Amino acid sequence: MAGVRLEHVFKKYPGTDKASVTDFSLDIQDKEFLVLVGPSGCGKSTTLRMIAGLEEISEGKLYIGDRVVNDVAPKDRDIAMVFQSYALYPHMNVYQNMAFGLKLRKFRKDEIDRRVREAARTLEIEHLLDRKPKALSGGQRQRVALGRAIVREPQVFLMDEPLSNLDAKLRTQMRANISKLMKRLETTCIYVTHDQTEAMTMGDRIVVMKDGLIQQAATPEELYNHPVNLFVAGFIGAPAMNFITGQLSEEGGAVKFKATGVNVEVPQGKAKVLRDKGYIGREIIMGIRPEDLHEEPVFIEASPNSVINASIEVSENLGHEMYLYLNGLGKDNVIARVDGRAGLQEGQNVKLAIDMNKVHIFDKDSELNILEA
Amino acid sequence: MNKTRLQRLQQLLAAPVEAMTITKKAWTAEGGAKNPEPGDYLQRGEAFWLVVKTEGAELHILQSEAKLTPLERELLKWALQGGATKPAGGITDMENQARRLGDWIQQSIGAGDWRAEIPDRLELHNRLFDGMIPFLLLSEQSDAREPSYVELEKAFRSYISDEMLLIPIREREWLILGSDRLLAEVDTTEEELVEREETKEALQSLATGLHQMFTEEWGGECHVAVGEPIIPTESLVYTVGMLRETIYLGRKFHVGMQVHLPWLIHLERLLNGIPEPVRTRFMEEMAGRQDLFADPETVSTLDAFFAMDCNVSETAKRLFIHRNTLLYRLDKLKQEAGLDVRSFNDAVLVRIMLLLYKVTKRK
Repeated sequence: MAGVRLEHVFKKYPGTDKASVTDFSLDIQDKEFLVLVGPSGCGKSTTLRMIAGLEEISEGKLYIGDRVVNDVAPKDRDIAMVFQSYALYPHMNVYQNMAFGLKLRKFRKDEIDRRVREAARTLEIEHLLDRKPKALSGGQRQRVALGRAIVREPQVFLMDEPLSNLDAKLRTQMRANISKLMKRLETTCIYVTHDQTEAMTMGDRIVVMKDGLIQQAATPEELYNHPVNLFVAGFIGAPAMNFITGQLSEEGGAVKFKATGVNVEVPQGKAKVLRDKGYIGREIIMGIRPEDLHEEPVFIEASPNSVINASIEVSENLGHEMYLYLNGLGKDNVIARVDGRAGLQEGQNVKLAIDMNKVHIFDKDSELNILEA
Repeated sequence: MNKTRLQRLQQLLAAPVEAMTITKKAWTAEGGAKNPEPGDYLQRGEAFWLVVKTEGAELHILQSEAKLTPLERELLKWALQGGATKPAGGITDMENQARRLGDWIQQSIGAGDWRAEIPDRLELHNRLFDGMIPFLLLSEQSDAREPSYVELEKAFRSYISDEMLLIPIREREWLILGSDRLLAEVDTTEEELVEREETKEALQSLATGLHQMFTEEWGGECHVAVGEPIIPTESLVYTVGMLRETIYLGRKFHVGMQVHLPWLIHLERLLNGIPEPVRTRFMEEMAGRQDLFADPETVSTLDAFFAMDCNVSETAKRLFIHRNTLLYRLDKLKQEAGLDVRSFNDAVLVRIMLLLYKVTKRK
């Protein structure tokens, strides 16, 4: 087993001015499950492909374990890859598919057999070993693709959107299976996805990327609760964080945040930071997670300085919870996630209290989280 | 010669080295030997030319102003003639025969003789009468070492079967001929694949598997094209030419795709054949609508919509979005561009614009 280290790695394609990956430095620990996440074109797959050896590194160093592998061929890097298009070998049965890589590496027959059967047991596909890929369902095929990687017993697993081709239900199931499997195998895994739910539920640590740059690398909790900038705050979380642009002012010793339909008091701790950094009188962006807007009377009573009124444009009842799309707060719709039994209707006016202890405040120009900087 | 090797040579010679392609005519016109071979050297004023490879009427040469001693020249010749790169066991008879066939294919393509019949003098001629599936593989791996024939053949044998032929055509380009019996092995029911569509599906899965095998287990990134089964003696040159064109068009119009199928690129072939001024005029006439592809979501939605034969439900499923979300996106496109991709004529226009946009965007 081994960790992976990237030191000031750049990827620049010939004929382009801008690097696809810029100054990527990261130390991935042995046995860590690291997720690279970001929107399409952010450089996450390119980074993974550089680690795999499928893309040349333009600048910087890549270590697997203690070895610099920039010039090592993919097959000699001791890695196993699982891609979105998990192409199985169609003319071979499941057993042969899983054994193929080992056969090519001249493993002994009994060793191949041991590894294949063990992996098949782990993935619960023992009963499928004689079947050809055409006779398998999508989920079964995905498990065979995983099995093919597992039997190699590599130092590092690289997975690029391996669940994208599965339907929503199967994805949720396979997500849990892969997490469980990686914990059991105790092998370093680097996993690429565009799906923040996948990232949040699977990763020990998540790297959020945008335009080829690392925005933040942190644990899921840290990313959710302490995003360093507006992009990370908006990318992590579903429904996404609400952003309201408004002005800070000092009134009677308290710091107030004012925007269309919003006039709330900033708690003392946060107010002190804003004062110290000279933000009073300036425009800022306030970020509020949908679950930090409360309709419960108890909460509203306890927070008289952070109450807002809005009208419900759309309500989506998911049973256990309800999403309210609110009008009249700032420029855009604000989404509140409330109890599914709140019985609120579209068109109704509603009183809500913002949990001001949990709001995030961003600089309007730099988009950095003022409270985390 | 790839970039890394060229850089190494530059370091060794302590002077810039440029890789070029010239005609044999230009070589002889400058006073070079009539039948140039790798390693042949020609002094031209301050600079020299050194032949790396001959390919039909073309020569791949290196040009540099480095000062070489006679011994250095001899060493370079020895290296270029293969002394330094051949496997320890030397070249096998099989490799020799395959390389001769590959050279002949390349020469025939170069001469424009796509219907050339395989001459009897080529030893492999006798093994090319059975039905075979042609795969063309183009490696894109940038590491210095070109895969050895023996290693590569072993890997392909493991994947396909012992009944296969590996024929090197150009640097990092190989033709792989596998028995057409392979198709029966793809099918689970052991029945013969009679339906043409099923055959194509099976060929695609074999090519995708081959790509995966090469990428993952062997040599890194590559492009693969597959054709329908052929009797090689009848159409080998044509098949290689057609598969090479398929890879070329696939790479040009569908960046990111690595497996290319000749039966899926008819429109691309046609568009590629349209003279540049006509293409430019078409795009100019549509200029007002070009920004319509600036949003990656629009492009991915349209790609999926056309891939699913304009079927709304199937496209929504493929994109993991609700049918209404897809309809909303298509309606938005209709409002913004005045093109309704659910109507045949507009769909044709948008499909062509999208393909041309993908090519022009990269210029």
